[in-house]
Amino acid sequence: MTTIASPASPYVPTGGRFARALSRNGAGYMFLLPWFIGFFGLTAGPALVSLYLSFTNFDLLTEPRWIGTANYVRIATADPRFVASIQVTFFYVLLSVPLKLAFALLVAMALNRGMKGLPWYRAIFYLPSLLGTSVAIAVLWRQLFAGNGLVNSFLANFGIQGPSWISNPDYSLYTLVVLSVWQFGSPMIIFLAGLRQIPQDMYEAASLDGASKWRQFWKITLPLLTPVVFFNAVVQTIEAFKAFTPAFIISGGTGGPINSTLFYTLYLYQEAFGFFRMGYASALAWILLVIVALFTAFSFLTARYWVHYDD
Amino acid sequence: MTFRINRRGVLAGGAAALSASAFGLPGAAFGQETRLRLMWWGSQPRAERTFEVSNLFMEENPEVVIDGETVGWDDYWPRLATQVAGRNAPDIIQMDYRYIFEYARRGALAQLEGHVPDVLKVSDFDQAAIDGGSVDGSLYGISLGANSSAMMINAAAFEEAGIEIPDNSLTFDEMKRIGEEITKAGKRENFYGLSDGSGIEPFFENFVRQRGKALYTEDGELAFDAEDTREWFELWAAMRESKACVPPDLQALDKNQIETGMVSLGHAAVSYAHSNQLVGYQTINKDPIVMHPYPRIEPGVGGGHYRKPSMFFSVSSQCENPEAAAAYISFFVTDPDAATILDVERGVPESAAVREALAPQLDDTGRAAVEFIGGLGDLAGPLPPPPPLGAGEIDKMLLRISQEVSFGQHTPESGAEAFVTEAQSILSRG
Repeated sequence: MTTIASPASPYVPTGGRFARALSRNGAGYMFLLPWFIGFFGLTAGPALVSLYLSFTNFDLLTEPRWIGTANYVRIATADPRFVASIQVTFFYVLLSVPLKLAFALLVAMALNRGMKGLPWYRAIFYLPSLLGTSVAIAVLWRQLFAGNGLVNSFLANFGIQGPSWISNPDYSLYTLVVLSVWQFGSPMIIFLAGLRQIPQDMYEAASLDGASKWRQFWKITLPLLTPVVFFNAVVQTIEAFKAFTPAFIISGGTGGPINSTLFYTLYLYQEAFGFFRMGYASALAWILLVIVALFTAFSFLTARYWVHYDD
Repeated sequence: MTFRINRRGVLAGGAAALSASAFGLPGAAFGQETRLRLMWWGSQPRAERTFEVSNLFMEENPEVVIDGETVGWDDYWPRLATQVAGRNAPDIIQMDYRYIFEYARRGALAQLEGHVPDVLKVSDFDQAAIDGGSVDGSLYGISLGANSSAMMINAAAFEEAGIEIPDNSLTFDEMKRIGEEITKAGKRENFYGLSDGSGIEPFFENFVRQRGKALYTEDGELAFDAEDTREWFELWAAMRESKACVPPDLQALDKNQIETGMVSLGHAAVSYAHSNQLVGYQTINKDPIVMHPYPRIEPGVGGGHYRKPSMFFSVSSQCENPEAAAAYISFFVTDPDAATILDVERGVPESAAVREALAPQLDDTGRAAVEFIGGLGDLAGPLPPPPPLGAGEIDKMLLRISQEVSFGQHTPESGAEAFVTEAQSILSRG
């Protein structure tokens, strides 16, 4: 926040620095007020309360009682479902994010050839992302991959009797990964904007030097695109950690079959609203915050070794 | 969710205000109206019936307005708990036997015995219904109907395979044979005789009760052991082995709702449910559905079933006008017109008079539901003690471990050990 500093007048009227600052910037703060109320009332306040609750045994119906670090100790030492949910979530993040980014880049490059009707294609490819977190799409996915679903009807044409993909622990998580990859729209739009920024003369020069398309991609496109890749990777990783709706709808809220779709957020939800362990769930939420923060910090630390800024 | 003021209510209110001011009385007529919020879980047919009864009540009691809210079972409990915690509880709460102790002991529900018999006319209720709604000697819930667990059978699928619907002497061995024959008949695609019942808690409870045990003791301890559980898992492993029941990836589609049961999805001829759900099953299935009690572990052994209140209406302790709430509940369970609307969708009515008045009006499905409860005979035993804190979690855990067994991650024996160990740890955590 920068304010245009007026030269300090030697003849200051009475009143402290604060009052002066207020009279100078009061209007600005007034305009910020809605955001302040929203941030402190709806984000920071509840977050701090949840930090307090994570040290209690709050169960919604009775008053919270302070139990120290017992929730955290239990999570770390005696909670097999926590371990299961971490495994599922990491598997999901590490598989779905790279696949989604690769797919988004592929489509973006295909669309970046100056074809006719580009805005239409862009809109159509973006559509799944708009619908992505909706319940309807998850329900649709359930129908597609169920025992008698569309996918198996298609396979039956080739004489293949497919399993019930969503209710078989060997495959259920993959159907969620496919669902995530299918929602490549928003990284694709950003890649497309990034591709537009790459100067055409570089490609022309490379072509004159005899570089193949493949080589041009690795030597020009990708290096110049790394800032965009970095941005997309960070955003999509955080999104993937927070994924909830598809697993909730497709598994009917159980995270099953067995624990195969037990996303971390789903486990947190079960503890909080299924078994009313609000204190325990608050502790889980803070651990998730730390995990996501660590991941993001790690991305930023390694960024200097592979992200090329044009400077 | 609904905001209703009927025309007569507005007119009456206006007239009262006019007359009050005409006689120089303080204009207190506004604000006299009592608003009651009612919340329940259930399907669309239940919502229609409930709203209809509420409208009938408001016509007869124009000073009371009933606002209804409804959600599905799974979403109901989080919503209720958050509303109670936020001091925003509905005045009239549909309550389940599994939760009534928890809510009553935590002071969330109002004691109702003070309204009996003047407002709550429940004198001709079965004593079991009153006992079922009582906690520590006080009345907290008025039963809306009786039900029992039951098997739903697709009669058309049985007929296609040339199998008669068995009588109440059915044993597990015979059921297995029937399941194999239906599967082998192969009259429908991807179709099996039975659903896999290994993860169905009421079915497991029925099984251990026939072995002279129960799920939980009076003090909230486990009342069965790993040996019972092992035999249960082995029994179903044999069913899967011989294809008497569906394979695990089909069974995992069952989300414990009428719509996702194996019968409704068209994967099996037999599903496991509750007797009041026959109405719902018949509504969404084209084939005729008949009900049957669970099989016997040996010929002549019974006592697995019990007749239980399917659900209650309770009054919130935060309710400002508990008497009006009690009057509504009384109307709901004793008024003959209300009974006609409600039918047996929430179970067989507990009032003897209502049952008698309703009997001639019932259709085949309704009559079957009533006869099922009445015809259990030696298959029924006493009501078990209420489930302890954590029982809901154990229910979900049974489903998970039954899947671990059926998908081959556990043997029946190691699955049984894991189940009992985890159940004990859940109970000790509370």
